[in-house]
Amino acid sequence: MTRGRPAVLCLGLLLPFAIPAAGQRGAEKGHRDPALEPCDIHHDRGRAVEAASCYRSLLGGQDLAIQAEAHWMLGDLKAANDRFREAVRLAPENPDLRVRWGYLYIESHNQAEGAQLFEEALELDDRHVPARLGMARVLGARFEGKALETVQEALEDRPDQAEGHLLLGRMALEEGDLDTARTSLERALEKSEALGIAPLEAYALLAVLGMLEGEPDNEWIDRALEFNPRYGQIYAEQAHFYVITRRYREATERLRKAIAVAPRLWRGHAELGVNLMREGHDAEGRRHLEIAYEGDPYSAKTVNTLRLLDKYDDFESFASEVSAEASQPRAIVRLPRKEAALLRPYVLALTERAIEEFERKYDFRLQQPVRVELYDNHDDFAVRTMAMPGIGLLGVTFGYVVAMDSPSGRPPGEFHWGTTLWHELAHVFTLESTNHLVPRWYSEGISMYEEWEADPRWGEPVTPEFIDAVLDKKLLPVDELDRGFIRPRYPGQVAISYMQAGYACRFIDRRWGFEKLVELLRGFADGQSTAGNLRAVLEIEPEDFDKGFDAFMRAELEPALDGLGRWRRNLKQALEAAREDDWPAVLEPARAAKAAYPQFVGSGSSYRLLATALDKAGDRAEAIEELREYERRGGREPETLQRLGRWLEEAGRPQEASAVYEGLLYNWPQDEETHRRLGGLLLDAGDADRALREFSAVIALDPLDRAAAEYDLARAYVKIGNLAKARLHVLQALERAPTFRPALNLLRQVKR
Amino acid sequence: MTRPWIRAAARIGLVAALAGAVGGAKTHFLLIEGLGGTAKFADRFRAQVETMLPSVRRTAGQDAKAIVIAGTEATGERIGAAFVELAASVGPGDALAIILVGHGTHDGDSYKLNVPGPDVTGKQLARWLDSVPAARQLVVNTTSSSGGALESLKSPRRIVITATKNGRERTATVFGTYWAEALGAEAADTDKNESVSALEAFRYAEAKVKAHFEERKGLATEHPVLQGERAESFLLARLGAAAELADDPAKRELLASREELERRVAELSRRKDELSSEEYLDALQELLLRIAEIQERIDADSEGDGEERP
Repeated sequence: MTRGRPAVLCLGLLLPFAIPAAGQRGAEKGHRDPALEPCDIHHDRGRAVEAASCYRSLLGGQDLAIQAEAHWMLGDLKAANDRFREAVRLAPENPDLRVRWGYLYIESHNQAEGAQLFEEALELDDRHVPARLGMARVLGARFEGKALETVQEALEDRPDQAEGHLLLGRMALEEGDLDTARTSLERALEKSEALGIAPLEAYALLAVLGMLEGEPDNEWIDRALEFNPRYGQIYAEQAHFYVITRRYREATERLRKAIAVAPRLWRGHAELGVNLMREGHDAEGRRHLEIAYEGDPYSAKTVNTLRLLDKYDDFESFASEVSAEASQPRAIVRLPRKEAALLRPYVLALTERAIEEFERKYDFRLQQPVRVELYDNHDDFAVRTMAMPGIGLLGVTFGYVVAMDSPSGRPPGEFHWGTTLWHELAHVFTLESTNHLVPRWYSEGISMYEEWEADPRWGEPVTPEFIDAVLDKKLLPVDELDRGFIRPRYPGQVAISYMQAGYACRFIDRRWGFEKLVELLRGFADGQSTAGNLRAVLEIEPEDFDKGFDAFMRAELEPALDGLGRWRRNLKQALEAAREDDWPAVLEPARAAKAAYPQFVGSGSSYRLLATALDKAGDRAEAIEELREYERRGGREPETLQRLGRWLEEAGRPQEASAVYEGLLYNWPQDEETHRRLGGLLLDAGDADRALREFSAVIALDPLDRAAAEYDLARAYVKIGNLAKARLHVLQALERAPTFRPALNLLRQVKR
Repeated sequence: MTRPWIRAAARIGLVAALAGAVGGAKTHFLLIEGLGGTAKFADRFRAQVETMLPSVRRTAGQDAKAIVIAGTEATGERIGAAFVELAASVGPGDALAIILVGHGTHDGDSYKLNVPGPDVTGKQLARWLDSVPAARQLVVNTTSSSGGALESLKSPRRIVITATKNGRERTATVFGTYWAEALGAEAADTDKNESVSALEAFRYAEAKVKAHFEERKGLATEHPVLQGERAESFLLARLGAAAELADDPAKRELLASREELERRVAELSRRKDELSSEEYLDALQELLLRIAEIQERIDADSEGDGEERP
C-alpha cells in the first residue's frame, strides 16, 4: 500500500506554493467534510489569502481527513499524505478516503499510485461512483479506450453529477466530436451550478470548444476569469488541446497567457518550456522549465526535460550547405556526439533529399530550417515526445522539429531509420503547409504513402493483424479515422489506423491522381473537415469513399486476404522441417506459404527459408532471386541482406550488390563490413566520392583493423586525385602495420 | 582515435613477436575440451576446438607439441598426465599455451573446469602450469566463471585470458567461439604481419563479444579479461606465407633487417610529439620505403605473397 509513496512525501516539504486544482468541492471526487466548504469557496474564487487563512484554521481539529485536505490545499503534500495514510489506517473500509488520497496523487503527477488507490476503493465497493470517475480520469489522461465505458457506467449509477459529463465532454473534444462535446459540457455546467460545484472546469472545456470552432478568445474565458481572476488553467486547457492537435505555436501563445494570469501555475511553466522546445526554442524553454522546477521539483516531465537539456552537451549539430539563393540552411541535424561522424553524411543527405522532393511535390516552400534530432538513448527520445497521445515510438514531428531514435538505439533490423526519417519529414510538410490544421489521419496517411513511394523497400509491410482487421471489418470510416489514433478501442488499433491511412492516400492517388492529394491538403489548410474536403475535392460522399476504399484495399491485399490460413499452415510445416535440418522438405511448404501471403517479410518469412533450401540444393541463382524479392518487399533482417549482397558479389553482379548494401545503410549503418564492402564496390565502379564516404564510415566505427581502414581511405583518395591525403592515410596505415604489403606498394605511388 | 601509447605498444609487440618467430623458439599447445552437458554445447565446444586446431598445429610445427584432450578422455587424471609430458619436453626458452574450452563454475571460493569425473580446480591448473619450465605461458580460459581463476593462475611468467571478469559471470560464454575464429582470421591480424598474437586474438574476440551483446541489446553476461604482460609478443598463429618464411634460413637476414626498421618505426612513433607533423611523416615515409624494398626482396622468391585487396 505504501510502496513508492515516500518519494512523493518529500514533495510537500519543498512545495509550499503549489496551487491545488480548483473544484475539489462536491462528493463526485469522493466525500469531503462540509467544514471545508467555506475555505473551498475562497480557493475556487482565487482568494488565496483568505483561503489559506481558512484552511489553516482547520489544521488544529481532530478529524484526520479534514487535516489532510487542509494541508493539501495549503500545498503541504507531505503532511496531507501522512494524514490520509493515518486516516485510511483507522478506517480501512472507507472507499471515499482512498479516492481523496488518490486525487492527491494525481495532483502530485503520480497517476499510477492514484489509479491504485481508486482500484482499492473499488475493491471495497465495486459500484463506488467517485472511484470509478477517478479511474476514468486516469484512463482518459492515458488516452485509453476503456475510459469512455467507465464514465458511462458511473453516469448510469449516478446521473445527477457534473464530473462524468465533464469527462465525456473532454473525451469528445479530444476526438474532435464537437457536437457530443457541447451536449456533455452544457450538461456538466448545468449540473455544476445545480450542485454548487465551481464551474471552472466546465468553463475551461467550453472555452476549448469555442477555440476548436475557431474562436480562441471566447465568452467562457471571460466568465472563468470573472469567477476566479487567477484561473490560468483556462488558457492552459486550451493549450493542451492545441498540443494534441499539433498546433504548437498556438499552444505557446495560450500558455504565455496562462502564466500571465497565474504566475505560480508551475504546470503552465513546464508545459510552456516543453512546448517551446518543440518549436526549437531550447533556451527560452529551459528558463520556463527551471521556473517550474523551482515551484514544483517533483514533476517527472519537468525534471526529465531539464536533464535532457543538460545532455545536449553530448550532442553535435550540423547544418546543411546554404545554397547561393538561400539565406539559411534547409536543415540542421543534431546527433549524439559519439555517432556523429558516422551518421552525419547519411542523415543530412537524406534530409536534404526529402526536403527537395516534398517541396516539389507539395508545392510548399519551408519557411525555416528543419531541425532533425536523433537520440541514441531511447529514454531521451521518450522524454522528448512525452505527453503525445497515440504516438508510435519511432519518431515524432513538432512542425519544424523532428525527433527520433538513432539507429543504435535499437537492435539491428528492428528499426529502419531511413524510412522513419522520411515519414517524419513528410509530416513537416503536411503540418506546416496547413498551419497544423491537417487531421491526424491525413498527415499519417501521407507519411505512410510517401514512404512506400520513396522506395519499395521502405514503409511498413502489410501485417497479418492488418489483414485480419480488414477481414473482420474493423477499419474505421474515413471521417472517423482520427479516433483510431487518439483513443484506440482494441489492441493494435493505432498501428492498423496508420496502415489504413496510408492505403487511403494511396487509393486517392491511384483513383484520382496525386494532384488531388495536394488539393486535399490545401482544403485542410482552409479549415475543411474530412467529410467536407472529400466532397469538395474528390466530389464523393464519405460513405462512398469508404466503399471504394474497401474494394481497393481488398485488391491490394490479394492473395493474402484469403490466404492467411494456408500461409500459417505451410509456414509452420516449413519451419518444422528447417528445425529438423531437412531442407529438401522445406521447399514445397515454403513455396506454398509464399504464394498464400507474398507480402510477409517478417521474422521467419518464407523467402529466407526458400533461399536457404535452394542454396543447399545447389541452386544459388534461384536462392538469390528469393532474397531479392524479400528485399524488394521490405525484408530487413540485416544478416539475410548481407548474405544477399555477398551472393550477388560472388555471382559477379556488383551493381546489384551495391544496391543491397546501400539499402542496408538505412537500416543498420553500424555494420563495418557493409561499409567496407560497399566502399570497395563503389571504388571499383569508379565512384570514388561515395567510396570515400563509406571508408570514412568504417573509420568512424573505430574498427579493430584500423590499418586496413586507413589503407582503403588512401585508395579512395588516389582515385579522387588527392595524393596528399592518400599519402597521409597510407602512412597512418603503415604506422600501425609497417609490413602491410598492399599499403607499402601504395606508398611507393604516392610518396612525396 | 587510438591513443598514441596504445599504438606504440602494438608496434613494440609486433617487433617482439617476429623476433620470437625468427629466433626458433617453440610454442607448445595443450587444448582441453571439457564437458558440454547438452548436445548443443558439446557441438559448440567441439567446433571451437576444431576451428583452432589447424592454426595451432601450424604454429607448433614439427618440433613443438600440440596436444588435444577432449570428450570422455578429458579427465583430471589425463590432463595431469599431459602436463607431466609437457614438463618433461618443454624447455625454458619455449612458450606454452593452454586453451580451455567448456563450462566452468565458481563456488565463491575456487574455480572449477567441468570434466568427466572430479572437476579440475584453478589451483590444480596453476600447480600443473608451475611444473612446466616454459618461461612464457599463456592460459586462455573460455569457460563460464573463468574470471574466478584469474587470481589462482597469476604468475609473472604467465598471461591469463578469461572469458569473464569474475566467477560470478556464470552464463555459458560466447567468447570461445570468437577466440577460435581469431586464430585464423585475417581481420585479427591488425598489424598485418601475417601472424596473430595473443593480444590481437584477445582484442578481436573481445570486440566480437561486445558487438554480440550490443546487437542483441541484451545485458552483457561476460566481460573478457587479459591479465599479464607482453601479450602482444606471444605468437599464437601464423597466417599465409609467414609460416614458411619463419622456417627459411635464407630469409633470416632480410627478416632481421626488416625487424630493425620496424623497431625504428616504433621508436619514431614514440617521439612523434617532438616533431612537426611534416617532419614526422617524412621520417616515417623514409623508413617505410626501406621496409618496402626489403619486403620486395623477401617476397621475390616466395609464392602467394601479399595480394592487393579487391
